[in-house]
Order: sequence, then C-alpha cells, then structure tokens
Amino acid sequence: MPREILDGFYWIKENGPDRTGMIETEPDSPTWYKEGETVRIPNCAYLLVGDKTLLFDTLSPASGDEILERLNSVLGDRDLNYLVVSHPDVPHAGNTPRILEAYPNATLVAPKYGNGHHLYRLDEGELVGDGDSIDLGGFVVDFHEATFLDAPVSLWMSERTTNTLFPVDWLGFPHLDSECLSLFEEVDTPMTVDRLIEFHGRVMFWYAYVDVPKVKADIDRLIEIHDPDVIAPAHGLVITEDTDVYMDRMKRVVERIHAEGRIGTLG
Amino acid sequence: MRTQLTNDTHWISECHKTDGAHEHVNVYLIEEDDDYLLIDSGSFHDRETIKRKIESETDGQGLDAIILSHSDYPHSGNVSEFRSEWDDVTLIASCGSPRLQGISNAIRCQIGKSMEIIGREFSFIDPPLADRSHTTWIYDHGDNVLYTADGFGNYHGPGECKYTSRDFPRGITAESVYEYHRDSLVWLRYVDPKRLEAAINTIFSEYKVDWVAPVHGNPIAGEDLSAYIADLIDGASRISAEYESRRPDQMQ
Repeated sequence: MPREILDGFYWIKENGPDRTGMIETEPDSPTWYKEGETVRIPNCAYLLVGDKTLLFDTLSPASGDEILERLNSVLGDRDLNYLVVSHPDVPHAGNTPRILEAYPNATLVAPKYGNGHHLYRLDEGELVGDGDSIDLGGFVVDFHEATFLDAPVSLWMSERTTNTLFPVDWLGFPHLDSECLSLFEEVDTPMTVDRLIEFHGRVMFWYAYVDVPKVKADIDRLIEIHDPDVIAPAHGLVITEDTDVYMDRMKRVVERIHAEGRIGTLG
Repeated sequence: MRTQLTNDTHWISECHKTDGAHEHVNVYLIEEDDDYLLIDSGSFHDRETIKRKIESETDGQGLDAIILSHSDYPHSGNVSEFRSEWDDVTLIASCGSPRLQGISNAIRCQIGKSMEIIGREFSFIDPPLADRSHTTWIYDHGDNVLYTADGFGNYHGPGECKYTSRDFPRGITAESVYEYHRDSLVWLRYVDPKRLEAAINTIFSEYKVDWVAPVHGNPIAGEDLSAYIADLIDGASRISAEYESRRPDQMQ
C-alpha cells in the first residue's frame, strides 16, 4: 500500500532487487547495515491528491500492475489529472503508457529540457521547466531544471504547501528491508557519506570527472534556493528532518567519488 | 560514402531532425562466420527500416545476438521485437536488473571484463563520456572498433547522414561536436577537461582503435581521431566555461 506521509501526499515505492551484494565485497560491514538484512535501492513515485491529482514518476515496468493497483487504492473513483515524468529512464517512465491507458484524461507533463522528445514519445506531453507550476488546489507544484541528473531530458519538482523537493536521482541511498516505507527519521541507521556513495558512486559516476568546487557551489545554491522541509527522492527514503545537513553532506560524497572513482554501476 | 566500415562491420545509419540539425540514432551489424550481432537496437521509430536493412545484409537470416550499450529507449527500443522476429537472439546487456529496465533474459556483461560472443571477443569499458549508470563502451577486438554511446557524437547536416569522418571536406566540425555534447551530456557543465582528457587517452592507449562508432554521430576513422578528440576536449572546456553557476533567482 502507498504511505500517506502528509495529508494527501502519498509515497508509492518499488523495492527492486536484492542489492545486498553491493556491500558484501567491503572489508567491514557498513555502519548503516544490520546483519541478515536485505539491501534495497527503491524506485519511488509520489501521488499528490488535492482538488486535482498528480503522479510524479511511474516505477519500473516490473511493477506495472502494482502501480495501477496502488493508484486505484488511493484514487478510487477519482481521476488522475496529471502524470509528470521526471525523465524518460525506464525505472521512472516505464509505465507511462499503461497509466495513460488506465487514466486517459490525464495530462502527460514532461521536461522541456534536452531534445529528441519524440524518441521517448514525450513530444505529446505538456513540456515544462523553470517558471512553470501547476495549482492542484491544496498543493502547488513548481518545476525546475534538474541540477544533478543523468538524462538530458530531465526535470526536478518542488511543492509549496509542504515545502518538498523532489530531486529525482539526487540524494538517493540504499535502505534495509525492515526500513521499507519508513521516513528516514524513523529508522535507526545513519546517513553516512559511505551510504550516499553506494548510490551516487554508481549513478552519478561522472562526479569522478568534475571540477569539485563548481559542484559544491551548486549544492550551496540548491540549499539556499529550496531549503526544503521534505526531500522526496526517487531512490531513497523520504527525509523530513535536517534536509540541509544531508544536502550539504553531498559535498563530501562528490569529493570522495572524485578522489576514488566510481564504485560500480546500477540499473 | 560507405556504410561498410570494415570487412565485418556494417553501419546502419538512421537519423532524426533535432532543432534543425540531424542527429544519428545508429546501430551497427557485425558478421562473424555467418553469425550476426547488432550493437544496440535503435529507436522504435526506425524499427521497420532497421529490420529491413538487417534482413538485406544477412540474406534473410536475421540476428544471433544483440549487445546493448545501455537500456535507454533510443538504444533498446527494438530489443523485444527483434528477439521475437528472429529466434534465439542472445541479449547481452550491462544492466544488472533487466526487469527494471524493461528487458528480459539478458546475459550480463561486466564493465571492465571481456566476453566471447558469436565467436568474437568484445571488451566492456567504463565510459568517461556517458550519462546512464550502466552504460558500457564496447570494443570489438575483431575489427578494432570502439562503440562509444553516448559520447563521441555530433550533429550533421542534410546530405551528411551517411558520411564517415573521411567524407567531410574539413572533418567533423568542432562546433557540431561541441553542440552535441552540450545538449546530450549535461553534466559536462561541471567537467574538469583535463581529467576527462586523461581518461579518454588512457582508453585509447590501451586499445588500438581503427574506428570509433558512435550511436549519435558519424563514425570516426582512426586517422581522424586525434583531431576529433582535440575538438571534443575543447568543446568540453567551452561547455564548462559557459556554465555560469546561476544565481538563486535564475534557478527558481
């Protein structure tokens, strides 16, 4: 079932495969790991239910039935008004056709950035970016050019009422099976730099080739601009406290990947 | 103009108009003793054209294997259909979770390792120019061809769709190399060009490359590589220099 983390704000999650292997080669068990637990890096989608309804991302095709069931469990007879695709990677956008088939009145909303939208069938969507917003009645979402990303056709989103930032592939991190659908503040395992590297050292491998001060300056800028109360990542647990601390911690993550190189792949 | 890059390697050139320019979405067909392997599967938009060209080049035999550089739709958009079209098509992919990527029954290739596929050795290389995490560059030891998705691309003009680097009167233009990488590998706005250059040089010192075969560009002959790489690094420097860390009010 989806978790309603704030009134009308639902977190829908796909655990994905067993990722325990990613830590088994390390000489010491990470401080965030508990013996015998299974490690997951989830795919997350978020459903906002105001006067109108909006789904942000779709989970992967492996969870096509599940996303439809979960949408139905929350929406019931209500319609889905907007389907926002953060970027056309399969684990984010893979169920777009099925969802649009189930909710044919939904408006597809896609990033205006990048090009070749027709290669992803996103050219039929309403293309949005910086300065664009949607008032759902009870929630207002704003769209942003993605700062740290993989695909060029990418979008971040924020929500005003709850002061939530949806940074998509940034600020992802692994969690344990027992922590599924827990807010990060509800778990007793720490958010170490190593834990963040388990995700970013694979997904944002390109931090190995960057000018580190330039990246750090943009992290500072993100903290200053957004200063979110809630961080809702696509590949981690929802964070509702000390968000600036974790955003700032990403500077050390970048330093480490730059110094030590990528640690593997994900996907 | 040639689409037969080497004795065994056939370039299937497909391209799309992008903001006035053309951008390739190529696939490459490799023959080994009457077995056929496709590098990437192309966009679903080009499905019928690619299928027809494969039928023609293989005398109707079809494919025996596909290697995916990564499972992005313009690269993986025809995997299921081609596997249905021709029986027993082995799929090799670097992604560790094929179901999450919408593909099934893939043999995983490990980046940093080599594999023999249809009796031919391929190495899988950590790509310094890519965006998706599980992307691999692919080196064909049989023909010394390096497949470099999504790096080493360029835009091209009408009439240049089937050019290799040898056919451009003044080579692939530096501007087209810069524009492609600016638009496609957005993270280059943060790049340290020297670090990128060092990583690229390491790969080219390790592998003898007669052709670079990009998915989103014209193939680059070995003799044109030095000039291309110089333009690429200049382009990366320019992308990085132009990215002015924007003020908060500009990022809203």
